[in-house]
Amino acid sequence: MILLQSPSRFLLQILQDRLLSPDKGVDLDCHSVEFDDVRYHIQFSMRNPHVVVLSVSLPIPPPEAIFFDGLPFGAIEAIKAAYGAVAQILDPPKDGYNLTMKLNLSKLPSDEGSTRFLCKIPEQRQALLVKIASVREVVLGAPLRFVLKNLATKTVAPEMDQLIALVHRPKESFFLLPQQAEKVTVIYPMRFQDSTDIVLATSFLQELIESRRTAGLNNAPSCMWSPSPPLELKGAPAQALTANAGFVTFVIFPRHVEGKKLDRTVWSLLTFHAYVSYHVKCSEGFMHTRMRRRVESLIQALDRAKPESEKSKKSVSGKSFKRLSLNEAHSNSNS
Amino acid sequence: MDAASRPAVVIDNGTGYTKIGFAGNVEPSFVIPSVVAVNESFLNQSEGRNMGNYIAQYNAGIMADLDFFIGEEAVSQSRASGIYNLSYPIQHSQVTNWDTMEKFWQQCIYNYLSCDPEDHYFLLTESPITSPEDRECMGEIMFETFNVPGLYIALQPVLALSAGCSTPKPQMTGVVVDIGDGATHVVPVVDGYIIGSSIKSFPISGSDITQFVLQLLRERGELIPPEDSFEIAGKVKEMYCYNSSSIVKEYNKYDKKPEKYIKQWTGVKPMTGVPFSFDIGYERFLGPEVFFHPEICVDDFRTPLPDVIDMCVQSAPIDTRRGLYKNVVLSGGSTMFKGFQKRLQTDLKKIVDDRIAASNARLGGNVKSHPVEVNVVSHPVQRFAVWFGGSVVASLPEFHESSHTKEDYDEYGASICRTSPIFKGMY
Repeated sequence: MILLQSPSRFLLQILQDRLLSPDKGVDLDCHSVEFDDVRYHIQFSMRNPHVVVLSVSLPIPPPEAIFFDGLPFGAIEAIKAAYGAVAQILDPPKDGYNLTMKLNLSKLPSDEGSTRFLCKIPEQRQALLVKIASVREVVLGAPLRFVLKNLATKTVAPEMDQLIALVHRPKESFFLLPQQAEKVTVIYPMRFQDSTDIVLATSFLQELIESRRTAGLNNAPSCMWSPSPPLELKGAPAQALTANAGFVTFVIFPRHVEGKKLDRTVWSLLTFHAYVSYHVKCSEGFMHTRMRRRVESLIQALDRAKPESEKSKKSVSGKSFKRLSLNEAHSNSNS
Repeated sequence: MDAASRPAVVIDNGTGYTKIGFAGNVEPSFVIPSVVAVNESFLNQSEGRNMGNYIAQYNAGIMADLDFFIGEEAVSQSRASGIYNLSYPIQHSQVTNWDTMEKFWQQCIYNYLSCDPEDHYFLLTESPITSPEDRECMGEIMFETFNVPGLYIALQPVLALSAGCSTPKPQMTGVVVDIGDGATHVVPVVDGYIIGSSIKSFPISGSDITQFVLQLLRERGELIPPEDSFEIAGKVKEMYCYNSSSIVKEYNKYDKKPEKYIKQWTGVKPMTGVPFSFDIGYERFLGPEVFFHPEICVDDFRTPLPDVIDMCVQSAPIDTRRGLYKNVVLSGGSTMFKGFQKRLQTDLKKIVDDRIAASNARLGGNVKSHPVEVNVVSHPVQRFAVWFGGSVVASLPEFHESSHTKEDYDEYGASICRTSPIFKGMY
C-alpha cells in the first residue's frame, strides 16, 4: 500500500455490517482514534435500527488557522452537499466533539429493479457508505476544496488572494497561496519528533523532489524542497516557520483538479505529513529486514567454525527432543 | 494532548487471528487472520544468495517491499494471482518470522487502524511460553520502527482472567484454559502472577480439530473440493459442531432421527462454479469430543482435558487450590462449542469429588472435608477474552506508569522489555 486511504476502514466496516444485517445485531458504542488526532465515536442502538449516530472530533487548530464554530470554513455546506438527506447534523455536537451527525440508513438511495443480494451491497449504496466513511476528508478538506474548486473553474474568490493557513495536524498548519487564478502554491513546514525520523524524512523528501524529474512525470505538480522558509511565506507568523525537516512546496494547476481528480488531490494534500511519516516508518522496517539478513549471514559464517551439533534423541512420549544448537538459539532470537 | 490521554492501542496476536482495537471498547475494531501475502517473485534463488537478493529487489522496483497484503485480503489475493505467497508469522502462538511480523504490524497500524503509532501507548500480548528474547525483539520493533511512546507486553492468561469475572473487581486467581487456533495451554494464575512450573499444555487446538473434522468427512467419502477443504471444514466446525454429554447417547440419537441431526452443507466450487453439497453427521459431536478423548485424534497422548486441568491445579501450591478450582476461566475461539463448558464442569467436578470421597473413605468417615467448589466460567466475550482483558487493563490509570517508555528504551536498551510489572489496579 503506497498511499494512505481516504475512507476510514473502521467506519466503513460498521456501516456495511449495519446494512447487511439490519435486523440482528447488538448495541454498539465504539471509539476510534486516527492519525492527527481525529476521533470518531459511533453509536447504534437496536431501538432505532436505522439510525447511527456518528461524532467526529478534529485536531486542535494552530493560532493562525481558526475554526469557525468549531468547524473549518465551509464544512457544513460540504457535508450537506456530499450526504444529502442521509445525514442530519445535530447542533450542538456531543461533549468533546466538533461534529455530530445522525445517519438515517433507510434514506440511502435504493437501486430500482435490482434484487437484494444478501452478501453484497449494491454499488450506489456502497459509494455513499464510502463517502460517509470519508467524513474526515469532507470536513477537514472543505476550505482546501473550496480554493481548489475555484482554481478548476479559473475564478478568484474575493478576499482569498493572500496566504491562507489551514489545519494540518494538531497545532500545526500548512499554507495555501492562490495566485491569479492560474495556480495554487501549497507549502508544508515539515516537523518530526524523533532524530532518526528527521534524517530519514529529509532524505525521503529530497528523493521525492528528484524523482519528479524522471520522464513520464511531467504532468505531476512541480515540487521543491528547501531547508529555509521560501519567499511565499513572508507574511506568515514566526512560530509557524520553524521546521526541522525543511519546507516542501507544490504548485497545483487547474488540470490537476478537474473532475474526479479533485477528491484525490484534496486527500493527498490534506494528509501529506502522515504520508511522509508512513513511508519513513516503512523504510525503517525495510532496513531492519536487511539488517536481520546480514546478521543471519554473519552467524552462518560463525557456525561453520563450530563442531557438529549433537544428535537428537527421542523422548518417551514419541516427540523428538532436539538439543538447541547455537545456530537455532540465535536464529530464534534474531530472525 | 499527549499520548497518555489518548486510548491505548491493544493488539492481541494469535496464531490464527489477530485482534486489534482501542482500549475502552468492548470488542476489537478488527479481527483479521494472522497471515501475510508477500510478493517474492523477484527473489531469484539461483544466484549467490545475499547479493542477488538486494540487486533483484532493487531491480523489481523501488516499491517492491510495500507490495504485500495482510488478513483476508492476503488470502483472496493469493488465490487470485499466483505471485503472492502466504506466510504465517506466528506458529503455535510464537512469532517465528520477525520480518513478516513487522510488516504485519505496519499494515495493521497504518491500513486498518489508521493511527499514528507515535500518539498512542501500545499493549501487546504474548503467550506464557515466549522467551525473554522474543519480548526484546517485540520491544525493539515497536520502539525503533514505530517510535511508540510506551509499550506493555501482557500475558494472555492474565488478561483473560479479567474478562471472565462477574464482579466489578476482577478476580486475579484462577485457571485459564486458553484454546486457540495454534496452541492450548492450561495456566494457573494466583493474584495476577502465573505459576510457571504448573503450566500444562495440551497438544490439540483449533486447527487440529478442523483437520480431524476434515479427515472424518473424507473417510466417509464426502465430496469436498480440495482447494477449499480446510476452510470449509473450519466453517463446518464453527457452525455445526457441539459438545455432547455422552457419545453413546448421541450416536443413538443420530441413528434414530437422522433428519433432525444430520445437516447439509451446500456451496459452489470456486474453480468451476459447479454447486456441490455434502452431509454433516457424526462429525458434529465427534470433533469437539477430541478434548475429552484425545486418543481418537492423536496417537500418543491419552490424557483428557479435565484431567490435565486437575493435574495442573494439583501441582500448584496447596493453599491456592481451592481458589483455582473455583475460577476456571475459558478463553479462545475453540472453547465456544455449545455444551463445552457444561461438559468440562461435569467431568472436572467428578474427578475432584472422587478424590475427596476416596480421602474421606481412607480416614474412616470420622473427618469429612469441606466439598470443593468447581466452577467453569463461560462468558459472552470468550472469543476475544484476551483482547477484552487488554482493553480493560489499558484503561486503568496505572497502565501508563507501568509501561516501558521510549525514554527508558533509549537509555537502557531492549532489555527493559524482558519483564512487565503486574500493577495494583488489576486487583
